[in-house]
Amino acid sequence: MAIKFEQVNFEYPSFDGTNFSALKDINLEIAEKGEFITLIGETGSGKSTLVQHMNALIRPTTGSVTIYGIKIEKDTKKKGKVKLNPLRQRVGLVFQFPEYQLFEETVLKDIIFGPKNFGVKESVAIERAKQVIKHVGLDEEYLKRSPFNLSGGEKKRVSIAGILAMEPDILVLDEPTSGLDPKGRDDLLKLFMGIHNDLNKTVIIITHDMNTVYKYASRVLVMNEGHLVYDGLPQELFSKENIKSWNLDIPDIITITRQLEDKLDVNFDSQPHTIQELFELVKEVI
Amino acid sequence: MNIIEIKDLSFSYQDEVDALSNVTLSVKKGEWVSVLGHNGSGKSTLSKLIIGLLKADSGEIKVDGVILNEESVHDIRRKIGIVFQNPDNQFVGVTVEDDIAFGMENLCFEQSDIVDKIKEYAEKVSMSEYLKKEPHALSGGQKQRVAIAGILAMKTDIIIFDEATSMLDPKGRESIMNYIKEINKAGVTVITITHDMKEAVLSDRIIILKEGRVIACGDTNDILNDKETLNSSNLELLLPLKLQYLLDEANLSNDKVKDILWQLSLNK
Ligand SMILES: Nc1ncnc2c1ncn2[C@@H]1O[C@H](COP(=O)(O)OP(=O)(O)O)[C@@H](O)[C@H]1O
Ligand SMILES: Nc1ncnc2c1ncn2[C@@H]1O[C@H](COP(=O)(O)OP(=O)(O)O)[C@@H](O)[C@H]1O
Ligand SMILES: [Mg+2]
Ligand SMILES: [Mg+2]
Repeated sequence: MAIKFEQVNFEYPSFDGTNFSALKDINLEIAEKGEFITLIGETGSGKSTLVQHMNALIRPTTGSVTIYGIKIEKDTKKKGKVKLNPLRQRVGLVFQFPEYQLFEETVLKDIIFGPKNFGVKESVAIERAKQVIKHVGLDEEYLKRSPFNLSGGEKKRVSIAGILAMEPDILVLDEPTSGLDPKGRDDLLKLFMGIHNDLNKTVIIITHDMNTVYKYASRVLVMNEGHLVYDGLPQELFSKENIKSWNLDIPDIITITRQLEDKLDVNFDSQPHTIQELFELVKEVI
Repeated sequence: MNIIEIKDLSFSYQDEVDALSNVTLSVKKGEWVSVLGHNGSGKSTLSKLIIGLLKADSGEIKVDGVILNEESVHDIRRKIGIVFQNPDNQFVGVTVEDDIAFGMENLCFEQSDIVDKIKEYAEKVSMSEYLKKEPHALSGGQKQRVAIAGILAMKTDIIIFDEATSMLDPKGRESIMNYIKEINKAGVTVITITHDMKEAVLSDRIIILKEGRVIACGDTNDILNDKETLNSSNLELLLPLKLQYLLDEANLSNDKVKDILWQLSLNK
């Protein structure tokens, strides 16, 4: 097991003493290899808080998170025995807001910052930067630009490139595709899928896009008001009745299949995953 | 009557590539227009030019008959509210409450009115419980909700939403879209910048930007079906229309199916 949450509770402290409980009794295991996980749930349900535990950016208020054999608890850092740096290299986390991750003068410096920090030679890091910038759909010219003078979608891509350049074992992405155009979104999801398939790495993606969940995920986690309320297969999740109460929705392909069954007065044998599959079914009945 | 008229507008950041080139477009009073386009096509730049946060290199912007310039920018900003793409750029106050109040204070609303409106609009975006919190202590989607509340409360004639629902959960997004429908019906001119065709379908008209130029502009129903233009701008057809294309290609379509798929696209 690469990451294991045991009875994790997390409270955000506040000055007036009314601490806010953002995670409640989370138990969760993430395998090092082979998982493609999507994490979904209502705005404010605790998704970003949860993933920040996965590389020890924040520590549980009670309970523990074990990351590659290292147990992280409330006072872990204070004891000073544990080195967190290696964990941060192995579990790469892309933040929801790229602005939190970009601070150098140029895009190049931003991308090589992570690898260099983890002991990669500068020349090697630069080579990696030239590769990853293309992988996220920007050309090499962008390496010279200032990360602050980019559009929202471009910043997002640069922040993803910075983590890819660290070559982490597990890739955790907090809403990597929100704000990207549809082609950019699909290209990036294919990139993550490629990393997952070719290198058998575990990828965890936070998203609000149910289509992404249905199309790509082998496992889906649902957060609701600080609780992990579902951990299982996407197909089963979307056949549940209570998903609306979690502020979720049904993927478009399922909605339109149901609507078509209704309007054409037919029953398809299977639930298609892609528009091509739906086309094959519709072909037979018209 | 056109409430916004833009003529031959060009802009580049620090002499780099042009972010906008010769953009000409107009928005009618009471209309709902979607602005679409690939990442980096110039959508946010356009909205910042309209409210006078950036100054055009050439061309002209008229809002409600008044040409935008140094003298008129203040008056024009009273007419246009904008929800920025990154909600952090909207936040200036110490608490959520302050942030919702900020826009109204700039417009010199009465203090008692402001207090009522904070309550009313926080309620509308489901953020009533968070009024005393610090904005940085909110989740991404919560920040977006607060930013939206602050702008709605200003009750300006025109509102621009720059990818304002990108971090909201499906239900939250739906409720904001319903609310936009409502204010648009009540006469507010709305410009939504989005990549989501399910949102664009709600608007009257669609404008598509590509590399800083307007490449399409027309009734929503016409643009929805324009596969080539959409694809060339990194956008996608609505799912029922994708299916229609596959059926057409295979010569399998008929009028009944076509009609059903069209109705499903319009979400009827
Ligand atoms: N720094 C913070 N201080 C206090 N409360 C916070 C802080 N960050 C987040 N929260 C609260 O914790 C809850 C969970 O936030 P988050 O994990 O960001 O949600 P999500 O990513 O699912 O939208 C939210 O209700 C939010 O208001
Ligand atoms: N502050 C800035 N300085 C320099 N270039 C910028 C700045 N902001 C945006 N750009 C560039 O201008 C172009 C248009 O950006 P923007 O209007 O933000 O695009 P969109 O909102 O359509 O994604 C992009 O190529 C982007 O790199
Ligand atoms: Mg979040
Ligand atoms: Mg933008």
